Amino acid sequence: MKLAFTLSIKNIFGARLRTFLNVFVLSFSFVVIIGLKGVMDGWDDQARRDSIDWQFGQGQLIHKDYDPLDSFTILDGNGPIPNNISGLTPILVHQASIYPQGRMIGTIINGIEPLQKSVLLPTQSLINSKFTFPVIIGKRMAESSKLSIGDEVLIRWRDNNGTYDANRITVVDIFNSNVPAIDSGQIWMSIETLWEMTGLNNQASFFIADKSYKHNPIKLWKFNSQEELLKPISDLVAQKNGSQSVIYFLLLTIALLAIFDTQVLSVFRRQSEIGTYIALGMTRQKVIGIFTFEGSLYSVLALILATIYGFPLLAWFADVGFAVPPADQKMGIPIADTIFPIFGLKLVLSTIFLILFTSTIVSFLPTRKISRLDPILALKGKKQ
Amino acid sequence: MKINPIIKINQMSKGYPIAGKTFMALKDLTISFEEGEFSGIVGPSGSGKTTLLNIIGSLDKPTEGQAVVLDQNISDLSHRQAAYLRNINIGFIFQVFNLLPVYTVYENVEFALLLQSYSSQERKNAVMEALDWVGLTSHANKKPDKLSGGESQRVAIARAMVKRPKILLADEPTANLDSENAHEILSTMKKLNQELKTTFLFSTHDEKVMGYLDRTIHLRDGKIEKDIIKKK
Repeated sequence: MKLAFTLSIKNIFGARLRTFLNVFVLSFSFVVIIGLKGVMDGWDDQARRDSIDWQFGQGQLIHKDYDPLDSFTILDGNGPIPNNISGLTPILVHQASIYPQGRMIGTIINGIEPLQKSVLLPTQSLINSKFTFPVIIGKRMAESSKLSIGDEVLIRWRDNNGTYDANRITVVDIFNSNVPAIDSGQIWMSIETLWEMTGLNNQASFFIADKSYKHNPIKLWKFNSQEELLKPISDLVAQKNGSQSVIYFLLLTIALLAIFDTQVLSVFRRQSEIGTYIALGMTRQKVIGIFTFEGSLYSVLALILATIYGFPLLAWFADVGFAVPPADQKMGIPIADTIFPIFGLKLVLSTIFLILFTSTIVSFLPTRKISRLDPILALKGKKQ
Repeated sequence: MKINPIIKINQMSKGYPIAGKTFMALKDLTISFEEGEFSGIVGPSGSGKTTLLNIIGSLDKPTEGQAVVLDQNISDLSHRQAAYLRNINIGFIFQVFNLLPVYTVYENVEFALLLQSYSSQERKNAVMEALDWVGLTSHANKKPDKLSGGESQRVAIARAMVKRPKILLADEPTANLDSENAHEILSTMKKLNQELKTTFLFSTHDEKVMGYLDRTIHLRDGKIEKDIIKKK
C-alpha cells in the first residue's frame, strides 16, 4: 500500500497540468453536486417545516367524506365535533364567492378557533375585532384579490339549507406564509362566525392536532399522520432531485471521462514501466492495483481541493441562501423567498462515497489491459 | 544452499506464431550453468539470445522441453510464482536501463526491496551499500534524467544487485554505452560476481563484453553453435 501510494503520488504530481485539470474538474463536481443537493435538502426541510408549522400541525383528523384535494367533497365533508376530544383544533371548510372591486372570485372559507395554537396562523387577530365579520388572508390571496388590511369586501355563500346569503367581511390581518395551500383562494375566520353563517353548528371538516393529541380511533374520522400529510411534498422534492440527477450525472461523467482517458493514456504510455515492475517481481495484480490506486487518488486530491475552495463557498451559500424567483413561488409548492441549503453529513459523505467509488471503478477499467500485456514487449517499450 | 547446476535447459524449444506460421526462436537447446558463472550468450540479432534470457528470467515459457531455474520448472510456474522467483532470486539489467523516471536514484534501487519485507533501516543500509558498489552514493537524490548513460546503467546494476539475487540476467547491457563506460560497468559486474558469487548471464554481441566473460555460448538460428569456456 505504501509502495502504491508513494508511486502514485510521484506519478500524479509529475503529470502537473493533466493532474490539475483532472483534479479541478472532479473537485468542481464535488462542489456542484453537494451545492445542488444541499439546495434540494434545504427546500425539503423548509417545505416540511413550513407545512407543519402552518398547515398540518402534528397531523390531521379528517372527516371520512372530506378530501382536501376534491372540491366536490366540501359541501358534505363535515360532521359533528366528537365529544371528549383534546389536542385538536377544529376547522370547518365552506365554499363562497367574494366580490372585490365588483369582480367575482371563488374562495374557500376556513372556520378556525381564534385561540388555537396548533398552527402559526395569526388567528388572535380575529378576537375582539370591532368588525362584524373579521377575516384574515394570506399575502397571495391579498395580492390576487387586491385586498389590504381594513378593506371590506362582499362575500356570498350558501347556508346549510342551500339558501344563498351575503354579507361584508373585513380583512383584519394579512399573514406571510410560504404555504400556498392555506393562502391562495383561502379566507380564515372564527369557526363560531362560520357556524352562524352556514347553520352548520358544532360541525368540522377536519382537525389539526397539536403535540398533546393522542390518537384513538373515532368513527367517521380518519387520522393522517404528519408523515402521511408530508408525503406529497417529499415525493415532489424527490422527483425534483431525480431530475437534477441528470446534471450530477453529466458533471460526474465529464470528470470521470477525464480520469478514464488519463488512465488509458497512462497504461499505453507507461508500458515499459509496467514491464519493469513485472521484471522486478511485481505480480500483474499488484501493478493493476498501483495504477487503479493512482487513478482513484485523483478523487482524493479532488476532495482536498474541493474542501479548500468549496467549504468556504458552500458555507457562504448556506448563509445567504438561494433566491427563488416569484414565478416559482406561485406554483403551489411550499417554497420560501430564499432557500437556505443544508449540507448535512449524510449528503457530504454519500457524495464523497459516490465519487470515490465511481472514480475507482473508472480507474480500474483501463488497467485490466495490464493483465494481457506481454512483459517482454512492454520492457522493450513496444506499444501493445 | 548451493544448487548445481543453477540453470538447467533440457531439449528446450521456443516458437512464436508469425503470419500463420511458427517461427522457432530456440531449437532443441540443452545447456546448464553453474552457480557463480560469469557467462554470456552471444550471437547475431534474431539468434535467440534474448528469448533464452527471458525464459530463464521466467518472463516467458518454453514451447517444448524444460527450463529449470533454481530447481523450479519455468513451465510449471503460475504468474504469481514466476513473479516471486524474479522478486527474490533474479535480477535484470536491460539495454535501455528501464529506470523509473519519477523516482530518485535511491528510490529506484530501493524499489526492488519494497516488494520484499525489509525494514526501512535494512533497506537504507542495503541501498547505500549497492550504490557504493557502483560508485553512485553521491547521486542518491538525483532523478534518472539527470544521469549519463553509464550512470543510469550503474543504477540499474545497483537495483538488480541490491536484493542479492542468485542470478543476474543482463540483456545487451553495454549496447547504449560508450567504450569507457562499458568497461567500467563490466568491471563493476565482474567484481560483484567475484565478491557475491552471483551467477551473471549476459546476452550480447558486444566484443568488449566477450572479453570479460568466463564462458561464451554462441547461438545461431536458435541453436548452440559453440560453447567456449575461458581457461583461467
